[in-house]
Amino acid sequence: MNINATLLAQAVVMIVFVAICWKYVYPPILEVMQEREKKISDGLEAAKKADDSLEEAKLAFDKEMDQAKTEAAEILKKANARASQIVGDASSKAEEEAEKIMTSASTSIENETNKAKEELRQQMSEIIIDTTQKILGDEISPEKHDAILKKAAEDL
Amino acid sequence: MAKELTTKSYIDHHLTNLTCGKTPEGWTCDPHYVDQMGFWAFHVDSLFWSIFLGGLFILLFRMAMPKSVSADSTPTGLQNFVEMSIEFVEDNVQSLFGSVKNKLIAPLALTVFVWILLMNLMDLIPVDFIPVLAGHIAYFLVGGPEHAWINSPESFYFKVVPTTDPNITLGMALAIFVLTIYYSIKVKGPKAFVAELTLHPFGKWMIPVNFILEMVNFIAKPISLGLRLFGNLYAGEMIFILIALMLFFSSIPIGMVGFGLHLVWALFHILIVALQAFIFMALTIAYLAMAHETEEH
Repeated sequence: MNINATLLAQAVVMIVFVAICWKYVYPPILEVMQEREKKISDGLEAAKKADDSLEEAKLAFDKEMDQAKTEAAEILKKANARASQIVGDASSKAEEEAEKIMTSASTSIENETNKAKEELRQQMSEIIIDTTQKILGDEISPEKHDAILKKAAEDL
Repeated sequence: MAKELTTKSYIDHHLTNLTCGKTPEGWTCDPHYVDQMGFWAFHVDSLFWSIFLGGLFILLFRMAMPKSVSADSTPTGLQNFVEMSIEFVEDNVQSLFGSVKNKLIAPLALTVFVWILLMNLMDLIPVDFIPVLAGHIAYFLVGGPEHAWINSPESFYFKVVPTTDPNITLGMALAIFVLTIYYSIKVKGPKAFVAELTLHPFGKWMIPVNFILEMVNFIAKPISLGLRLFGNLYAGEMIFILIALMLFFSSIPIGMVGFGLHLVWALFHILIVALQAFIFMALTIAYLAMAHETEEH
């Protein structure tokens, strides 16, 4: 076992190699590794976030869908109610109209009848006066006996 | 080498580094003159493999991340391996270092781990492959009868696994030791650092005793760190050499057993190779974490 200057030479060589490794070899490798590590962890985090937001979106979608369904059902119900109401309204209006027509018809019939009756009465009284004149001569003039005639007509 | 190949010479040859240094006669790379070189000698083979594999590490990890790579592209092939290594190191730093932020620790730990792993892995290449190849190349390039250390390809000494050289492991431990002291002083301040070494366990009236005790504790860390790695790998290499001897110096049946043993030991050694690299890294992080701790006693 000879200890000689080889020992010092090796110590110097070692310091040189360590310095080279420290300055030129180690940092670039470590930098790439750390950068990649960061990228991967960022990517994983982003994926997790995307997953979460997808879940959230799904929930929101379901909620919206449920709400839409309820709304649709409500609208349908309302529409049905409205339709039946419209139908009901229309039929009652028609009935009313029919009744009104009937009433007016019967009123006009009555009026016509009364008118006819009046006319008939008039004519009758005239005929009677005529006839009476013929029978009694000119003794009875319409002007003189108007009051009597009128009363007779009223009595008829 | 004119000597006949014996068991002893085979082992010696495998355990001797290619050492270059200055002798009274001038510079030489003949390990036989190691005693005359003194301290200022260099294990050229260990340093060559150490620098080569360190460079391989830098190149590999640099190539895995070209400029075109961004956080958006899918990692492929080499990039996956590199990112896995970094994640492994980051996890370890995180668990041992806790909240303390020091940008140097992770690159240091990564360098230590991958580099030592690569150096240890050289142990799995069969023991004679590279030395013989290197011997022929060296003989072809500079060999000749005028150089005793390379007058034939076989006389060339070449030890492949740098971590079986205590100079390499202790050298790394020394660099870490220096860093530990630097950060201790930087984080705690020189006063607290000195106080840590002198004021316990016995209080201020026993400063010399405290200092000796703490110093032993302090210095034992890098030495044990370096020697642990060296010991494990040296022993592993030794067993590979002994198994290789079974193939060279005995009968064919024993050689066949050696063949099987080599496979078994190589498989087991993979575990040691990775484990020792990991332990060295973990302890490096732990020692530096201690340097950042502001303890209260």
